[in-house]
Amino acid sequence: MFDQGVSAKFFDGQSARSHSVLVRVVDHENGSALLIEQDGQEPRHWPTPHLRELRHQARDEGIVLRLDGSDPARLIIPHGPAEDIIRKISPNLHQRHVPKSMQRKLLFWAGGAIASVVLILLVILPALSGQLAKMVPLSREIAMGRTAVEQIDKYLGKSKTSLVCHNEAGDLAVAKMITRLTSRANLPYQLNVRVFNYDLENAFAVPGGYIVLFSGLIKAADTPEEVAGVLAHEIGHVVHRDSTRRTLRTAGSAGIIGMVFGDFAGGFAALAVTKQLINAQYSQGAESSADDFAHELLARAELPSAPMGVFFDKLKKKYGGKTGLMSHLASHPELGKRADKARAASTVSLDSFRPILSAAEWSDLRKICK
Amino acid sequence: MPDRSTQTPHCMDIVYRGKMLPFFRLMLVNVALTVVTLGVYRFWAKTRMRRYLWSAIAPGYDPLEYTGNGVEKLLGFLIAVAFLAVYLGLFQLFLGFLGLSLFNASDDPAAKVFHLVLAQASLIAVVPFLFYAQYRARRYILSRTRWRGIRFGVDPDAWGYVWRALAHWLLTILSLGLLLPRQTFWLEKYKIDRTWYGNAQFVQGGSWPMLYRGMKHLIIAIGIMIIGGILIPFGTTLLGIPLIVLGVIWFIYGYFHYRVTCFKLLAAHKKLDNTVGFIANARTDKVFWKTVFGIFFAGLSTVIALMVLGLIAITLGFDNFDLDANVTGAMATLDPFQIAYAIFSYLVIMGLGSVFYSIFVSQPVLAHYVTTTMIENPAALMDIQQRSRDEMVEAEGFADALDVGAAI
Repeated sequence: MFDQGVSAKFFDGQSARSHSVLVRVVDHENGSALLIEQDGQEPRHWPTPHLRELRHQARDEGIVLRLDGSDPARLIIPHGPAEDIIRKISPNLHQRHVPKSMQRKLLFWAGGAIASVVLILLVILPALSGQLAKMVPLSREIAMGRTAVEQIDKYLGKSKTSLVCHNEAGDLAVAKMITRLTSRANLPYQLNVRVFNYDLENAFAVPGGYIVLFSGLIKAADTPEEVAGVLAHEIGHVVHRDSTRRTLRTAGSAGIIGMVFGDFAGGFAALAVTKQLINAQYSQGAESSADDFAHELLARAELPSAPMGVFFDKLKKKYGGKTGLMSHLASHPELGKRADKARAASTVSLDSFRPILSAAEWSDLRKICK
Repeated sequence: MPDRSTQTPHCMDIVYRGKMLPFFRLMLVNVALTVVTLGVYRFWAKTRMRRYLWSAIAPGYDPLEYTGNGVEKLLGFLIAVAFLAVYLGLFQLFLGFLGLSLFNASDDPAAKVFHLVLAQASLIAVVPFLFYAQYRARRYILSRTRWRGIRFGVDPDAWGYVWRALAHWLLTILSLGLLLPRQTFWLEKYKIDRTWYGNAQFVQGGSWPMLYRGMKHLIIAIGIMIIGGILIPFGTTLLGIPLIVLGVIWFIYGYFHYRVTCFKLLAAHKKLDNTVGFIANARTDKVFWKTVFGIFFAGLSTVIALMVLGLIAITLGFDNFDLDANVTGAMATLDPFQIAYAIFSYLVIMGLGSVFYSIFVSQPVLAHYVTTTMIENPAALMDIQQRSRDEMVEAEGFADALDVGAAI
């Protein structure tokens, strides 16, 4: 037990002076301790259970010891038999201790951070963007919508020619559908419906009352009422100002999730999934309420909503429905459910309604892109 | 700069004792644990890295010690997130609303600039906090740094730094970079004059025009680029293009030269307690070539790792990706095991890339700066007394949340 003592370097944590000391192991309070003797100073006792070693060090002049707690003093003992003995008799050299008060603080602030992120992303931003969307001047919304439609046109058409389809008979058929759908609903917007020559069974609404139907959708529909169902759904988005709301919400939430996961490789995957999950939850909510709006609009126009269901079933058959885990990540609710809801909401009998377009007008609409 | 001699007994050398292999092992474990814990371990990873690097720097053979810990870093981060999430959300939403309400589709330049500015909404919201976070991070790091058992410390004047930094940046940009030395000097002085070692205060002396010496190569590089640019319209493209390329390379070298020169000049004019001085003999060429070769070796190592992962994929028969299928179709035909392997490979490559960068670039460059710096009149250090601990509950949480501050 190096009875003669081993010489070591000591920093007392009071001044920047380096001290030469003599270290020995002695009995101390039912255990052992290091006795640190220094010329002209009271000897110090460092009980072995309180010794801690500095770790992850690049230096190599020996073992660096400190006491647990916040004592800034450091003892550096050169490599050799003394070091081996100290390692053997000191049980807690590598123990780490997180004080109770720190644990409480961590729990408190972890709760605070989670609450803050959840609150802003899932409560405050959706509510505020809903309110603010109503305050955006209509003229601005229209200007923005026009720009958006033009940009999408250029993007999808690869800048060559405009995708907008035009002919007199087709335009008349579109106008007739809109009049039938909206004459009994009090819409705040002047609708501006266009058909794009694009082979996809889809439609979208942008701010300011702009709605775009793709020719692929008209082709896939077997009756004008199926198209009317989709149109009514898009009008729902227009009335709810969904795209303006989404723009505002996206602006507000930029970077918040990224902040939580940080800039490292694994965060990338977690980030993408979390973002998609949150977006999907909103967007599924917006889609459901646009569907509900559509059912009501159709009923007011004395049109059945069952054909809307028929159309959703067709899409489901073609693309397959997403179920289970993946359905939570999708932007739209599950198609089967939407179809069922449309059928259940139908108040007008399929046998006795006045069609939205005559056979001739329906044929005109189908030829709008020819 | 006069070489005020390496030999004088009144100077204390600084030794660097970090080695490639132990540092590589440490960084590898760090990256692995960070990926496995989806990023939570990053606070401990940084702490472990600092413990190693600090202990490698030994002025007068007594190493620095880093006393920070991962738990306090995590706590600081949580506090910052709790605050920033609400602040950022509201501020960005407000700017977004402003953008929509004032939307103007016309082509006039004012409208375009306006939208360009608003598109950077999150940046505008964050910039003041970036400087705040940087100052606080520096304060945290120094408060957790000790040498010979004595703590460093920084006075808590972060907001004063924020507005000065904003003003200096604005001036530098408006002067097309000509006032960069002024910014470098005054911001450094602001930080240094508030920095302590124990009860001794640092002071930054000198004046800002002295840093113009560091701009030499930047100015030459711009000159070359301008000459190249003038030559092109006169039909001498063959000469103009190579000149511009040369100018760009020279500019990069000039950037290194500016940083190294500023480091040397500012160090030479720093004083601790009015008695202890510093001599820095770092060399631009060394720093430049160490960085260039370091990046080369880091890139090479990463490519080799990528090839190994690719070979494993081929052996396992993962080479039949059908890229023509549309996205949904492709997802349906991919084996989940293949997707998992692709994600795993991506993470491994990103992680290894950063590890290789640390060992091939960061550490060698740090070692050069450290070993070429000396401390004048070290005897005066003996009398410096301890200072009290700077608690700093928020640690460097803002810097962690905003992802700014030191790479080290």
